Amino acid sequence: MRTTTWSVRAAAAAGTLALTVGLAACGTAEGSGGTELSGGDVDLRVTWWGGDARHERTQEAIDAFEEKHPNIHVTGEFADWTGYWDKLATSTAGGNSPDVIQMDQLYLASYADRGALADLGALPQLTTSGLDDPVLGMGRSGDTLYGMPVSTTAFGLLVNQDVLADLGIELPDTDTWTWDEFDAFARSVSEKSGGRTVGITPWNNEYSLQLAARQAGDELFADGDVAIDPATLEQYFQRALDWTKDGAAQSASQFAEQASASLDQQDFATGKTAMIFSQVTQLTAYAAAAGGANVTIAALPADGADGSGYQYLKPGMYWSVSARSAHPAEAALFVDFMVNDPQAGAILGTERGLPANPEILASIADGLTDDEKKAVDYSDSLAPQLGDAPEIVPNGASETDTLILRYLQDVLFEERTPAEAAEGFIDELRSAVDAAK
Amino acid sequence: MTRRRSGPRVRQETPDDKAALVFLGPWLIGAVVLVVGPLLASLYLAFTDYNLLQDPNFVGLDNFSRMLGDERLHHSLAVTFTYVIVGVPAQLVVALALAVALDRGMRGLAFYRSAFYLPSMLGSSVAIAVLWRLIFGQAGLFNGLLGAVGIDTSTSWIADPDTALWAIILLHVWTFGSPMVIFLAGLRQIPREFYEAASTDGASPWRQFRSVTLPLLTPIIFFNLVLAIINAFQSFTQAFVVSGGTGGPSDSTLFYTLYLYQEGFGAFRMGYASALAWLLVVIVGAFTLINFWASKYWVHYDD
Repeated sequence: MRTTTWSVRAAAAAGTLALTVGLAACGTAEGSGGTELSGGDVDLRVTWWGGDARHERTQEAIDAFEEKHPNIHVTGEFADWTGYWDKLATSTAGGNSPDVIQMDQLYLASYADRGALADLGALPQLTTSGLDDPVLGMGRSGDTLYGMPVSTTAFGLLVNQDVLADLGIELPDTDTWTWDEFDAFARSVSEKSGGRTVGITPWNNEYSLQLAARQAGDELFADGDVAIDPATLEQYFQRALDWTKDGAAQSASQFAEQASASLDQQDFATGKTAMIFSQVTQLTAYAAAAGGANVTIAALPADGADGSGYQYLKPGMYWSVSARSAHPAEAALFVDFMVNDPQAGAILGTERGLPANPEILASIADGLTDDEKKAVDYSDSLAPQLGDAPEIVPNGASETDTLILRYLQDVLFEERTPAEAAEGFIDELRSAVDAAK
Repeated sequence: MTRRRSGPRVRQETPDDKAALVFLGPWLIGAVVLVVGPLLASLYLAFTDYNLLQDPNFVGLDNFSRMLGDERLHHSLAVTFTYVIVGVPAQLVVALALAVALDRGMRGLAFYRSAFYLPSMLGSSVAIAVLWRLIFGQAGLFNGLLGAVGIDTSTSWIADPDTALWAIILLHVWTFGSPMVIFLAGLRQIPREFYEAASTDGASPWRQFRSVTLPLLTPIIFFNLVLAIINAFQSFTQAFVVSGGTGGPSDSTLFYTLYLYQEGFGAFRMGYASALAWLLVVIVGAFTLINFWASKYWVHYDD
């Protein structure tokens, strides 16, 4: 008879971590290697999340790097998004995290403030001066640079023009449209199609919440704390609820189903939604998933003058160096190659988003596809109205996206009112941030 | 086990003992390194604020007192108990019913036995959980069938808080194969004479089932029940894949193990997650104890 229960195994798994950590804890934040390049052979481990296209391109860039620096041997390790963070947490806990780590804004401060990442400013092999300051600023926790922005992206509305054309609907002037006009247009899509295609998939992530807050003159985080006004958050939830109830968006259960669906199963990709809130650099992937549909970018609606200066460019991801890397200098050299070298730029293209280094972006501009150009043009068009960069997601708040989705579902299924959800969200996020202090 | 009677009476190491140690060695090392050691470590971590990235600090009973006010924990317990209390008996009833039907000595028994056992082997796999999404999703097979009989609905059964858990319970019931095989073996143990005697006395098939089959099968039912309850508490994959790891929609499929995973790996609260793991050990242990205690009143052994 089998006597090992899952619970015992869970306890055992947690324990394995403890054992490894016991061994590893001896050397916390020592930053063992020197900051000068070594002449001898050096092994580097680099890790990232992503799909097949990213793995191929990154490996190609690694090969190019090794050719330039024959004494440095780079091993790539990759996983999908969910598995990536489990693996990174475990390997970091065990004291054997990779030297170079692809990092996301949600986790940057959580890793940095707990001593897992190296201060990139102290590594002269990495040149940071090529990047615009607001973008670079979003790689800092406190005043220290822990993440080198790889790419930037703007946020907007992706519009499937083929779906609109089939229905015989035309997109109104979106340069100055208000939230009411947006809602009315989204509803008209649903009405015209008899409900087969709806206007919009509700927003559900940190970037959209950040922008909604900034439109209201508010901000999500300030001084390392949750700062958003409950009323702002309530309005964010309320809008999504309105779209769901007035038919502008799909039913709550149809929306919820997409939480676990891959990109090509999303309603936007299958033509069941005409518009979606998204990082605009996702356009290429969505257009491909939608069978080569003609997808364009429209500006976010905004109510009057409140909207000016609310936009910002968010780093799509970062390269970080482990605090325990035995070869921080070589690791920094690798990051520098990936972000600042035109050769790497040409190989990597816009697969990770628009290169954060404007020179690299300019150097690949001629080879961009039409879809990639749309994202670049939209980002350029925002330039005059960009505001200050917001504070990054603080230590302890790495679950921000998960929380937004969970409370949003509660609202859409009417298990909580928008006001209750706003209060619950802020309480839960705040206590997570407090616990990490 | 058997020690030679002859030989010196003083206990001394015999070559047999050494051989036993050699053969036990791999298991012993595995048990200590992979089970006992980590188990003790996690017991220690349950009393710390371990966050995976920094050294753990001892915090006494904080993790356990936190459980009292943790609404999501209480909710996940409710979800898990519903799953166990509904899913386990439902699965065993189906397993028993099919075992009895197959025991009639029909042709092709081996084929049916294998066919019905198949879901058990696949049931907790990712592929089947994905299949479940395709069947009970908004554009799934099930809605297609409903549409064919004139019921038009756009409900996504796996993404509606009212039905998502039931879709997963159904998945659990569908994996009735292993208890069924055990029931089949048990049915074979029942002497045919009992049935002959019962028919001679004019007992209907239903009466025979109630008065002969069920009582004689109770030890097997008990065995299946204990196993099934322990297994049901450990369910993770189904909910993880069907909900994309969120336990959603609206936490309606937030299994205990899923919550433990989210706390440990999502929120970096590994100390709390360790405490949760130990609470689960206690809960499963309590259920098993109650089971054994209650078995005195309904399980009939031959002697």
